[in-house]
Amino acid sequence: MFGLESGIVLAVIGAALAVLLAGIGSAIGVGTVGQAAAGVVSEDPDKFGSTLILQALPGTQGIYGLLVGFLILLRIGFIGGSPVALTVEQGWSFFFAALPIAIGGLISAIYQGKTAVSGVYLVAKRAEESGKAIIFAVMVETYAVLALLMSIMMLFGVRV
Amino acid sequence: MGIARMKKVYLLAHQADKERVLSALQQAGLLEINEITGTEEAADWVTLLARDQEQQALQELEGRLAEVKFNLDFLNRYHPVRKGLLDDFLAEKKSFTAGEMEQLATGWADASSKVFAAAKAIEEKLLQMRNEETRLQNLKQQLLPWRRLPVPLEELHSTPAVKIELFTLPVNAADKFRAELAETDAAYALEQVENLRGEIYFVLVAHHSDVETVRDVLKRFDYVRHTFPELTGLVDELLAGLEEDLQKLAARQEEVRQNIAELAQYREQLLYYLDYLTVLREKKQAVENLGRTVSTFALEGWVREADEERLQQLLSAVSDSVVLVTREPEPGEAFPVQLENKPLFAPFEFVTKLYGAPSPYGIDPTAAFAPFFIIFYGIALTDAAYGLVLVLLSVLGLMKIKGENMRRLLKILFGCGISTIVFGWLIGGWLGYQVLGAPLYFDAINDPMRLLIYSLALGIIHIFWGMMLKLIHLVRQRQYFAAFADVILWYGLIIGLLLLIVPAVARFGKYLAIASAVGLILTQGRAQSSIIKKFFSGVLSLYNITSYLSDILSYSRLLALGLATGVVSLTVNTMAGLLKGNPIGYVAMIVILAGGHVFNLAINALGAFIHSSRLQYIEFYNQFYEGGGKYFNPFRMQTRHLDIRPEGLPDK
Repeated sequence: MFGLESGIVLAVIGAALAVLLAGIGSAIGVGTVGQAAAGVVSEDPDKFGSTLILQALPGTQGIYGLLVGFLILLRIGFIGGSPVALTVEQGWSFFFAALPIAIGGLISAIYQGKTAVSGVYLVAKRAEESGKAIIFAVMVETYAVLALLMSIMMLFGVRV
Repeated sequence: MGIARMKKVYLLAHQADKERVLSALQQAGLLEINEITGTEEAADWVTLLARDQEQQALQELEGRLAEVKFNLDFLNRYHPVRKGLLDDFLAEKKSFTAGEMEQLATGWADASSKVFAAAKAIEEKLLQMRNEETRLQNLKQQLLPWRRLPVPLEELHSTPAVKIELFTLPVNAADKFRAELAETDAAYALEQVENLRGEIYFVLVAHHSDVETVRDVLKRFDYVRHTFPELTGLVDELLAGLEEDLQKLAARQEEVRQNIAELAQYREQLLYYLDYLTVLREKKQAVENLGRTVSTFALEGWVREADEERLQQLLSAVSDSVVLVTREPEPGEAFPVQLENKPLFAPFEFVTKLYGAPSPYGIDPTAAFAPFFIIFYGIALTDAAYGLVLVLLSVLGLMKIKGENMRRLLKILFGCGISTIVFGWLIGGWLGYQVLGAPLYFDAINDPMRLLIYSLALGIIHIFWGMMLKLIHLVRQRQYFAAFADVILWYGLIIGLLLLIVPAVARFGKYLAIASAVGLILTQGRAQSSIIKKFFSGVLSLYNITSYLSDILSYSRLLALGLATGVVSLTVNTMAGLLKGNPIGYVAMIVILAGGHVFNLAINALGAFIHSSRLQYIEFYNQFYEGGGKYFNPFRMQTRHLDIRPEGLPDK
């Protein structure tokens, strides 16, 4: 039913979820930081540089999601080849390989955004401490990186 | 190397020399001035001193500073300078000697008062003009609907026989009003002048005897009366006059704007004056840390041991009645931290300072992590072409940019660029392509497990190196037992556990791990009071193995970041490749390739930097770092817009 017995459909759903969910997380994260940063820059335009870096931080999850989605499409031959015939088992494997970055990316990007917003306030009060604000936000990034790592390892583990 | 040795300084001199001593100290920038507290042995002599201050001079300075800031703010508001993102970094500072600056400062002060007076006047004028403009615009809006009135306004006054009214009604009420008015027996004339924005503009003429009747009808509607008691003449002509007034006003505003543009030529002088005053203010504020008697003053602070000689020479050149006493810091006394590293490593102090200051009795991590920082950066970026771009950009920046902090960052990026070229060549590619054949060593994208193992191995080396720093530090402090118990035993346990993986030496690993674990159980609780507490603390300490494990696993990010760069490059190339075939496609392909790779480089160059820093701050520092220091902040001339060259200082 719903094509769930087709391996290729499952793999494509996985690719879509990786890009979608991680992208949504990054959009929310980057968006909230941007709002706070715009407020600070309206007071002090010189803080554009350091707040922009903070805003960029929650953007990486979206890229990681894209990366995993792209790798799945590459492996099932949607890009640069002809589609491979996948078994249902292989399809589910690709589907689950996409989940760590899809869900980990979604949630870590939102929380990284929140941390970065606080970082923006920190920069507003003490511009010289922007390095510390960045480090706080990067602590959250770790879990997106680990999720990405696991997604990639699972992906390469699937025999096609 | 490492953290500079400092000496405590006590200085005593005549009040008459104070100005010159402070000027010399500020120009030299060798001495950090602290609040005066006295020595341990003779703390009571401080009670003989009054706290020195120069309130009045300071207040006057604050006043002048406020004036300059107002001026600059005024110019920025009405005559802003366009500047690019990089202009601040590229700006070449004008350089003066301290003497030249003193001479020029009177000119700057004149310029500042001139601008201040002019700016105040202009602000007032502008405010008046804005009010005038608002008044004219409002009047224009009021008159505009009545412009078809064929009668001069003064003739619209009521006559002995009739009353004349101007009013508006909402469009939807107009017809009903007409009808209800017609039903009365009043004598009137109603004329519609205009239908504008949902309102109908009426002129109503009624005989005096019927005014009440007409007003009763009007009251039932939502009407608004319009009167122009002070205006005479035809509305059309009045409007033409208003238009003329507005144009004249605009011309006057333009004139004022010209005046502001003329003031803008003083901007540079104002910026210099701001710096000059800031330097002066700092000098006056420093005075608040001094102690004074009627004819002497005392000062307390820190100087780098290496600069002691120069300080001595400097002061004896200023006056022969300055007494300078120095001493070593007492055991445990916190002294300000100044990092000292060889020129090769000094740029990495940028990364060290981003985190904070190490404890004065701790370890300066800069030189220790520098090579790892560069290696991690290279693996996290892993694209030789991106490395090449970084190298080129940083060289370009180093040729143009003067700011010390920015130069340090660029030097780090230069090293990171080289490392990225090397690792890109070895295990990555060039812009995602393997232009020069396959990677020299292996292809990280097709063999990620191998890179993962290398990353973790690098992590273990990094962490062992951090533990080694702690070991060396403890040995230097002659804490041999702590060195054995807190470092060597952990080495034993971790190495033992690692050896378990290798079958040939697994047996040896097992015994080493067990022996070390027993050692840890016996030693880690040694700070506790009772035997039982000692034992349980010792057993619990084994739990720390998880912290080593998570530290080591954290280095897997190197693989993930490296793959991220590679795969995004691959994505960009594949997307661009789909477009080739016709001329428009080729253009789009080039746009995607250029945009995609610039984006990928920017985001991953930043990511590599912060993750490489993080591996130092969290995983590496965890092994040995003691924070809580305060950076050495010598009394000096801090300027943003000009460079002040000190005069008459002894050479190094």
